[in-house]
Amino acid sequence: MPQLQASPDIDFHSDTYRDAYSRINGIVIEGEQEAHENYIRLAEMLPNHKDDLLRLSKMEARHRKGFEACARNLSVTPDLGFASQFFASLHENFQVAASENKVAACLVIQSLIIECFAIAAYNIYIPVADDFARKITEGVVKDEYSHLNFGEVWLKDNFEATKEEVEAANRQNLPIVWRMLNEVEKDAKVLNMEKEALVEDFMIQYGEALSNIGFTTRDIMKMSAYGLVAA
Amino acid sequence: MFGLIGHLTSLEHAQLVARDLGYPEYADQGLDFWCMAPPQIVDSITVTSATGQVIHGKYVESCFLPEMLATQRVKSATRKIINAMAHAQKHGIDITALGGFSSIIFENFNLERITRVRDIDLDIRRFTTGNTHTAYIICRQIEQASQQLGLDLAKSTVAVCGATGDIGSAVCRWLDARTDVDELLLVARNQTRLQDLQAELGRGKIMALEEALSLADIVVWVASMPKGVEIDPTTLKQTCLMIDGGYPKNLATKIQAPGVHILSGGIVEHSLDIDWKIMNIVNMDTPSRQLFACFAEAMLLEFEQWHTNFSWGRNQITVEKMEKIGQSSVRHGFRPLLLPPLT
Repeated sequence: MPQLQASPDIDFHSDTYRDAYSRINGIVIEGEQEAHENYIRLAEMLPNHKDDLLRLSKMEARHRKGFEACARNLSVTPDLGFASQFFASLHENFQVAASENKVAACLVIQSLIIECFAIAAYNIYIPVADDFARKITEGVVKDEYSHLNFGEVWLKDNFEATKEEVEAANRQNLPIVWRMLNEVEKDAKVLNMEKEALVEDFMIQYGEALSNIGFTTRDIMKMSAYGLVAA
Repeated sequence: MFGLIGHLTSLEHAQLVARDLGYPEYADQGLDFWCMAPPQIVDSITVTSATGQVIHGKYVESCFLPEMLATQRVKSATRKIINAMAHAQKHGIDITALGGFSSIIFENFNLERITRVRDIDLDIRRFTTGNTHTAYIICRQIEQASQQLGLDLAKSTVAVCGATGDIGSAVCRWLDARTDVDELLLVARNQTRLQDLQAELGRGKIMALEEALSLADIVVWVASMPKGVEIDPTTLKQTCLMIDGGYPKNLATKIQAPGVHILSGGIVEHSLDIDWKIMNIVNMDTPSRQLFACFAEAMLLEFEQWHTNFSWGRNQITVEKMEKIGQSSVRHGFRPLLLPPLT
């Protein structure tokens, strides 16, 4: 979503900006690392799609490197300790689902929720990013659409068999996303990214994904708003 | 396929509708939630023309609420409109009308600057404000409802409130070119634009609202009434036709007096039932047949396969374009809403 008002001048080198950026950038780097590992795990679970998934995994590793460069460009040290805490719940849920061989639940967490969240956040970030980070992020967001597409296609092909597992994974994980969003609301605001816009873009992207998989508008409205108000 | 982008009239209304439609997740939420809610396609529509041609469309609920403007949440308001447009385009809709406040927000906040929304390049040719058809229908309402009341336009004074707007200026052009209206009173806030309009028409008296109301046999409202303005019915002409073409339509609740006839402006009736659910919730008297003329414009553009932004930009509406859409309107069986038979 493009900025509607002219962006206020952002001082990308101020202490306030760089402090907030250390956590947001940490999250992005950790998120790409998680994604890299999750796709390797999924490649083991879905041997027929091994090549595709390993390719996606490599892309995520490349994204991580791009975002590390963004931090260096602003002389920021990403707060990776904060970031790994930030992802702890989703990380654990993915590991549990993988250990139970629940492919659909793993895809909901990685290919739908994390990818949609990344796409929403990157799209909101691009208009307010510094020039260096903007170019990197624009390249990344294009890739993320293809990752989302992998999950959509698999879940669509297995819709009837996995519908309940998808719904359960949605119920379990979406409230975590809202909580995560609240944790970074203030830092995101410093970067000129508004929570309302992030939530709306996430719901648009996630709703589109659910629709492509085969859910009805009624399901989508229920699922994509699940737990939002309690957050 | 045609599309309509609409919204509900208030938070309370939105909550009620969400409950009616069976969306409890949306029904119990306050304004903060609606500010984050994404657009949804909530209805599929089938329209049959008087010619027998059948077309299909979608209703896109933008989740915009007027309270967003009232509480200065402009970013939310503008996001709703842009996201609804992107949603319509992504779903392959060829021509979509921006209903209610949507086109007003698009214009007032210069949203044409936004050409890309996420992975979509907005194709502005797929959208229409519907204002040409609305202006045409209001003009036909003036011509026909005045006859119902026995008012002779050649002896009548018509006040256009909001004369310099997109619809208001079009109505003035039509009244000047196509009718023999005696006096045309131009009411609006911006004096420069009023003078420009007067120069363009080569006629019309620029006048303050109160004075114009006391002189007019016919009052056309195409701006919403300024806040705090009260109309004293005793200052109006004994027989007065008021066409409420603003949004939201609230004149009828503000003025009730014998001799003052209030007609919802810019509303059409179709000659055949339209298969849709959504109009049941926008307070039309005959939901299966009555609709906003701006919505009907998208239908007409689909019937005619004129997949283009027929109405776009401010003050571009010519009498020729009004005639063109008007002929299409008649051909496909739409007619202007008129006054109920006088008893």
